[in-house]
Amino acid sequence: MTLLFLSGLALAFSGFAATSITMDRHYADIHGRGKEASRVTRLRLRTLGWIGLALSFMACIGASGWHIGPVLWCGVLSLAAWSVTLLLQYHPRKVMQGAWIGIPAALLATALLLR
Amino acid sequence: MKEGLRQSMAWVHTWSGLLVCWLLLLVFMGGTAAYYKHEITFWMKPELHKAADAPSRVTPAESATLAVRELQQRAPTANAWFLDLPHERNPLIYASWTNPPSKGMTREERRAAFRTQNFTLDPMTGEKTAAPRDTRGGEFLYRLHFDLYYMSAIWGRWIVGVASMFMLVAIVSGVITHKRIFKDFFTFRPKKGQRSWLDAHNATAVLALPFHLMITYTGLVTLMFMYMPSATKALYGAEQNTMFSEVFPNAERVKPARELAPLADIGPMLQHAERAWGQAPTRVVVTNPNDANARVELHRPSGQQLSNIEPSMTFDGASGALLSDAKPLSATLDARAAIYGLHVAHFADTLLRALFFVCGLAGTAMVATGALLWGVKERQKYAKVIAKGGKAGFGVRLVDALNIGAIAGLPIAFAAYFWANRLLPVEMGERSNAEANVFFIAWGLAALLAQVRPTRAMWRFQLTVGAVLLAGIPVLNAITTDTHLGVTLFGGPGLRPVAAFDIVVMLLGLLLGWAAWWLGRKAKKAAARQPSNPASTTPLEAA
Repeated sequence: MTLLFLSGLALAFSGFAATSITMDRHYADIHGRGKEASRVTRLRLRTLGWIGLALSFMACIGASGWHIGPVLWCGVLSLAAWSVTLLLQYHPRKVMQGAWIGIPAALLATALLLR
Repeated sequence: MKEGLRQSMAWVHTWSGLLVCWLLLLVFMGGTAAYYKHEITFWMKPELHKAADAPSRVTPAESATLAVRELQQRAPTANAWFLDLPHERNPLIYASWTNPPSKGMTREERRAAFRTQNFTLDPMTGEKTAAPRDTRGGEFLYRLHFDLYYMSAIWGRWIVGVASMFMLVAIVSGVITHKRIFKDFFTFRPKKGQRSWLDAHNATAVLALPFHLMITYTGLVTLMFMYMPSATKALYGAEQNTMFSEVFPNAERVKPARELAPLADIGPMLQHAERAWGQAPTRVVVTNPNDANARVELHRPSGQQLSNIEPSMTFDGASGALLSDAKPLSATLDARAAIYGLHVAHFADTLLRALFFVCGLAGTAMVATGALLWGVKERQKYAKVIAKGGKAGFGVRLVDALNIGAIAGLPIAFAAYFWANRLLPVEMGERSNAEANVFFIAWGLAALLAQVRPTRAMWRFQLTVGAVLLAGIPVLNAITTDTHLGVTLFGGPGLRPVAAFDIVVMLLGLLLGWAAWWLGRKAKKAAARQPSNPASTTPLEAA
């Protein structure tokens, strides 16, 4: 349950991170002034972002069931979004690196859910 | 209306928010603390800590039997007994009862009869624990957040209800007026004055929006029968109680038969429930004990359900026969129970409860940053006057003072309440009222001082006082009790709430300390930049 929660949190972080680095302001924060993400990158990262959020939802449902799970997910989303916001401000490059955590988290969540 | 929707919504947002923000701060802080009201109460009764240290050795059925034996001696004629058996969030056996009011009683006596009396048993030995000090503990903070204090609960609820309605308006208008809600989703730009305060307000509001909307709306629903009585009035007239007993099967009360009948053994009932549920009951309510019409209700936590209504089983107290499982609820009632349940979050386990607590803090921060933002914006209108050495308007001064009194003053009041719990003499009469009075004296002093001198120095002073008081609580606890962090961190699971309380208040104290330090650094920088300019402005305009 705690592991599922943690992977849900990591997936939400990863999903928000992927979404945020396509946004002009944050893209420029990471890659330098005036740089913009190409359309393909943007589309790809946004899709990944939504997948991350959807998987995070599933992890929360797995952790707490259909009644409490969505409530847990809302809290997880808030926590993840605050982390991304603060990290973007103080260590923008870490957001890009941190987004990779979604992959092991997804594997862990899948393993736990299928068990 | 010539202005656009956004502008008019901005107006609504500003004023609906400003009007009630200081009361909302109290409600948010009290409500956030109330998520841990059991833990707070437990911390505030150090006499019970020792008994909670060892894990329970008796089964739930045995502990209920023990408590009933004690109640039979102490209150055989009570009109109801309540038992809380040991479980995850409660290490001890709590028993309480209410006495039946009789005809010739004065109003005072009647009220005293309704007040619950209680004792606590040690689940290790079944013996009574040392009598805990007289305190309302977390219950005071919980009640404070919707009943207020020094006034009838009805008045308090109306005032809080109106404030909640304003809050709901502020949330909806805030979302409409926030034109870059998606573009600025992850934006926080510090050290940019007004911009930064707006970013902080947005980040605490938007990123926890589901929580804020939920808590405000569900808060209103919990008291809906009071706020919107017309429907029940039309259907039931003066017979409001009929409505409650028809709508809420749990509220059903059986009248005593006034015929003596010894209460059946409660142990087998608990064993039956435990077998049927696969989980032990945690709460027992016995109505009309030792009467032919005695009823024993067993409750268990609702577990994976949002509902605030716990699953229950009812037994006939005289014969011990199972009468019914809880009646299934109608869909409407189920929805209300879920909405109510979301607000009080009884279903939340440790993790989720912590998330609710953090979201509650975010709500507090949202209200606080919103209140500060008004001052920062309004002050700009006076920028030229202030530059010439003049003063900002009365409104700015008033809001600044109220902000200091609420944002920095309320933590002082909370801390003072906890300090009073440890420092007031244990044998003092009316002790729990005295604790509450200390809360309001501390808050009143802070608010008054803020009105006298709403300056940057006052901000720093009050934040520092709050920081020292809160961060000092673990030290105070170590001096006044035997269950300090050195013991609780390594003790049994029953003492974890005590350790957690110490650590959380210390962290909150450090947070306030950081804010005070940050203001001090800003003051120095400002002084270095403009040595001639007196520090008459608040620190907040150039965050």
